[in-house]
Amino acid sequence: MRVMAIAALAGFLVAGVAAAPPAAAQDHRHKAMEAAPPRGDSVYSLSASLVDQRGRSVGLDLFRGHRVLISMFYATCPDACPLLIADLQRIERELPPHIKADLRIVLVSLDPERDTPEALQALARARYVDESRWRLLRAPEDTVREIAALLGIKYRRLPDGSFNHSSVITLLDPDGVVLVRDEAVGGSHATLLRSLRAAQSAPSH
Amino acid sequence: MARRSIVPSFLGIVAVVMGVGLLLVSPQEASSQGQSPAKPAAAASAQAGAPIEAVLTSAPDVPPPITRRDPAKVVVHLEVREVNLPISDGVEYTFWTFGGQVPGKFIRVRQGDTVEFHLQNHPDSKMPHNIDLHAVTGPGGGAASSFTAPGHESQFTFKAINPGLYVYHCATAPVGMHIANGMYGLILVEPPQGLSKVDREFYVMQGDFYTVGAYREKGTQPFDMQKAIDERATYVLFNGAEGALVGDKALKAKVGERIRMFVGNGGPNLVSSFHVIGEIFDRVYYEGGSRYQENVQTTLIPAGGSAIVEFKVEVPGTYIIVDHSIFRTFNKGALGMLKVDGPENKLVYSGKEVDVEYLSEKAGPQSTAIAAAASALEKGTLDIKMQISAGEMLFKGTCSVCHQPHGNGLPNVFPPLAKSDYLMANKQRSIEVVLKGLSGPVTVNGKQFNSVMPPMSQLRDDEIANILTYVRNAWGNQGDQVTAPEVTATRAKIKLPPGAAR
Amino acid sequence: MRHLAFVTLALVLAGAGVPAASPPDMARVGPGVLRPVYMPAPGVTTVDVAAFALDRLPVTNGEFLSFVTGHPGWRRDRVARVFADDGYLAHWAGPVELGPDAHPDQPVTRVSWFAAKAYCSARGKRLPTEAEWELAGAAGDKGPDGAVEPGFRERILGWYARPATAELPAVGSGQPNFWGIRDLHGLVWEWVLDYNSTLVSGDSRSGKSADRLPFCGTGALTAGDNEDYASFMRLAFRSSLEARYTTRALGFRCAGDGEVALR
Repeated sequence: MRVMAIAALAGFLVAGVAAAPPAAAQDHRHKAMEAAPPRGDSVYSLSASLVDQRGRSVGLDLFRGHRVLISMFYATCPDACPLLIADLQRIERELPPHIKADLRIVLVSLDPERDTPEALQALARARYVDESRWRLLRAPEDTVREIAALLGIKYRRLPDGSFNHSSVITLLDPDGVVLVRDEAVGGSHATLLRSLRAAQSAPSH
Repeated sequence: MARRSIVPSFLGIVAVVMGVGLLLVSPQEASSQGQSPAKPAAAASAQAGAPIEAVLTSAPDVPPPITRRDPAKVVVHLEVREVNLPISDGVEYTFWTFGGQVPGKFIRVRQGDTVEFHLQNHPDSKMPHNIDLHAVTGPGGGAASSFTAPGHESQFTFKAINPGLYVYHCATAPVGMHIANGMYGLILVEPPQGLSKVDREFYVMQGDFYTVGAYREKGTQPFDMQKAIDERATYVLFNGAEGALVGDKALKAKVGERIRMFVGNGGPNLVSSFHVIGEIFDRVYYEGGSRYQENVQTTLIPAGGSAIVEFKVEVPGTYIIVDHSIFRTFNKGALGMLKVDGPENKLVYSGKEVDVEYLSEKAGPQSTAIAAAASALEKGTLDIKMQISAGEMLFKGTCSVCHQPHGNGLPNVFPPLAKSDYLMANKQRSIEVVLKGLSGPVTVNGKQFNSVMPPMSQLRDDEIANILTYVRNAWGNQGDQVTAPEVTATRAKIKLPPGAAR
Repeated sequence: MRHLAFVTLALVLAGAGVPAASPPDMARVGPGVLRPVYMPAPGVTTVDVAAFALDRLPVTNGEFLSFVTGHPGWRRDRVARVFADDGYLAHWAGPVELGPDAHPDQPVTRVSWFAAKAYCSARGKRLPTEAEWELAGAAGDKGPDGAVEPGFRERILGWYARPATAELPAVGSGQPNFWGIRDLHGLVWEWVLDYNSTLVSGDSRSGKSADRLPFCGTGALTAGDNEDYASFMRLAFRSSLEARYTTRALGFRCAGDGEVALR
C-alpha cells in the first residue's frame, strides 16, 4: 500500500517538474515541434492531462504549431459563456479563410464535475461549433486551477454549483506564448482581430 | 464612472472669451504677455508627436505652466511608497504616499493631452494600491486598470477631456483607510489657453488623520479605524504634517505679487472652510472648475475636491492659512503660513504684523525645545532647564494671551503670575488651577480679581508640568519643579468641571 | 530525465520514512464555520470548512532550498517565466545558495504561486484553500474566533499598515494560536490555492451592482462582515496577484488531508 502511494506520489512529482517536455500529444501535425521543449514564456510549460469532448486524452499543447484562441467556461453557464462562444464564432467569421483554417479554439471547462465529455459534446453540437478546429476540454480540478492561473482567469464555485468567473479570450502564438488578452465579452475584439489578420500564415505542420 | 462635461467645449470657451467677458484669461493678459517666446525644442517635439515626460513636483511646489499650444502625449510615472514620517513633533506615522510624501505629486497637463499613466508600487510596500484620478473619464477613474501588487507596475492611458483642478487618490479596499493614510494629490488640466499669469503658485492640500493616541501623543501612532468611521479626527493638517507650512517652511512671497494657490482636500471625511487670515481672495475657482467667484473670505472645499484661489498681497506680514472650523486650526494642527516681505503700505494696513510669538508654539525652530523635552521625558533624562525652555514656548502659545508675555496680567482683569504670592504659596493648588480653571474672587499680591480662567485640562500632563515649572521660575519667582507624574496624580484625584476637555 | 525521476523517488522514499500519521510540523484545524468578508451567495453569510491539517509554521528559506536543490526545474535561473517573475528568489545569493540576506529560518518569500504549489506537492501536501486559511487565521489565542479577543484585529491592521522593509524574523517566534498554528499574522502574506477566486474589478467601489457579464454566476459576491478589515485587506491583496508574481512580503505554508485531519 505504502509503495503504491509512494509510486503515485513520485509520478505526481515527476509530472509537476516544470522543465519536463509536454506529454505525448495526439495531434500528429506538430510532431516536428515535439522534440523542442516549450519556451519559458509559453503556457505549454505546464504539463497537463485533459480530456476532450470525444473522450480523447490530450495535453494543453494539443494545438501547438497553430495559433490558438483559448478561454474558460462552463456548460451550464447562463450569461457570459453563451456570449463567449458566440463571440468566438463571430471572430472566426471575420477572418480570411486561410487564417481561419489554421486557427484553433480551445475552451477549458471550469466545472469538471458536471461537464463530462458527453455534456461537452452535447454543447458543441447545440452551438454548432466546428469540431475540426474547436476542442472543449475537461480537466481535474487542480489542473483547472493551474490553467486559470496561467491565463489570468479568476473563478469561484458558488454553493449552487454555478461559477463567478472572468471571461478572458487569450490568443496564443504557435509556441504557446500569449499574444493578446481580451477581457471584453460582447465587445468588438478589435485588438484580437487585428492581431489575427496581421499574422503570416502559420506553419501548418 | 462617466463624468458629464459641465464645461463648454474648447470652441465654447473661445466663444465665451470673445463674447461675455467671463474669462479665464483677461484680454490684456492673453497668450503672449509673461510667457517667454515659444521654445523651439518643446514646440517641435510636441508637433513631432514625441511623448513628453511629465514634470511632477512635491508640495508646496507646482510644475511650471504649460506653454505648448497643442495637445501631446504625456507620460507620467508615479511611484507608491509606504513610508514612516513625522506627523507632528515627536509623533511618527506610517503614510502611504504617491511619490514619497503627503500630498502626492502634483501633475500638470493640458486639456486634450493623452496621458500614459504608469503606476509603480515599490517592492517594500506591503499593500496593493491603485489610483483614481478625478480627471479621468472611464471606469473607476483608472482604478480598475491600475490595481498593482507590491513590486509591480501598471499602465493605462486616458485623455484629459475636461479642464480643471482634480483630486486623485487610491481606491483600494478599504478605500477610507488608504485615503486616511495620505494617498491623495492633485492633477491640473489646463484649458488650451492656459491660466492667467501670476507671480507665484503654491500647492496646498488638507487632510484629516486618525491615530490611536491622542493629538500630539508621542511615539509611533497607528491608524485608528474606529475614529475614522466615527469621523473623530486626531489631526487636521495641511500637506501631511503639523508645521509643514510653518516657520522656515512657510510659503514665501513679496509685496505686490499675485499669488495662486491650488488647494485640495483629500479628506477622507472633513470638508474644509479654507481661509487666509488677513487676505481676501480676489478670485476663487470654486470646486476647481472653470467659473470663478470674486472677493471671497472663506471658501468651502469638499472632501475629494479642490479650489483655486488667487489674491494679490499688498502688505508685508505673515498670513495664517487656516481651516475656519477653527478648533481644527488650534487644536488639530490645520495651520500654515504665508510670509510676505517688502515695503509697508500704511494706506492699506497700518497695524502691527501678526505677532509670531502668539503662535510660537507652532513655529518650527522654537518647537524643538518642546520636542527635546518630550523625548527626554521618555528617556528619563528630563531636567529642570529643559522643562523651563519647553514651558516658556508653551506659555507663550497658550497662557500669555491673558497673563501677558511677562506674567504681569491685566490690572483688574487677569491676575499676575510674576512674583505672585497666590501662585507660589501652594504648588499643588497651582496644578489644580491649571487643570480645573478658577473663577470667583481671589486676592493676588493684595489686589482683588474676580474673573474666569477656563480649565486647561486639554493640555498634556507633561506640558502642564513644563509650563508650571517655567512660570514658577520666571520673572523673579523663586520656584521649584513640577513633574508630569505630579500632574497625572492630581488629575486622577480631582473632578474636572463639566465641559472640560478629557 | 530518468536520472531526475530516480533522484526524486529517492527523496520521496527518504521523506516517507517519517510516519504519515502524525507529522509534528502540522496541526489539525477545524472543522469550523467561517464568516467570510464576502457573502458566498445572497443571504448566505457562512461557509463550512471541513477539518484539515495545516503546517504550524510558514515554509522557510532552508526548506525551500532543499526543494530547489532536489527539483532543479525550480531554480531561479531555470524556472519557466510563466511560472515565476524576475523577482523569484532574488534575495538569495545564488540559485542554490542562500547567502547573508536569506537566513535559513526566515520564511521564504519572493516565491510564486506555482513554486509554492510545486513545493507542497513535493512534500505530499497542497496549498490551503482561502477558506481553510481564513478559518485558521480567524482564531485568537483562546478560541476559534479571535475577533472577541481585545486587540486582535487592531494588531493585524497595525502590521498591514507598516511597510515591508524590516528584516523578517525567524519563523516560530509568535505565539501559537488556538489551533497551534504560528505566524499566520504579522510575518508574511501567504499564498492560498484559490488565490484567484475573487473577482474584484480592481476598483473596489463597484460593490453590489457589479456587472453580471464580466463576472457571470448568480450574482456578485457582496461584502458580508463589514467590520473585518483585516480579512478584507487580505482579500484585496490576493486579488492584486497573478500566479507568477513574487513579492517581498509574500510566502506560504502547506496544508494536507488524511489521517492527521481525522485525528
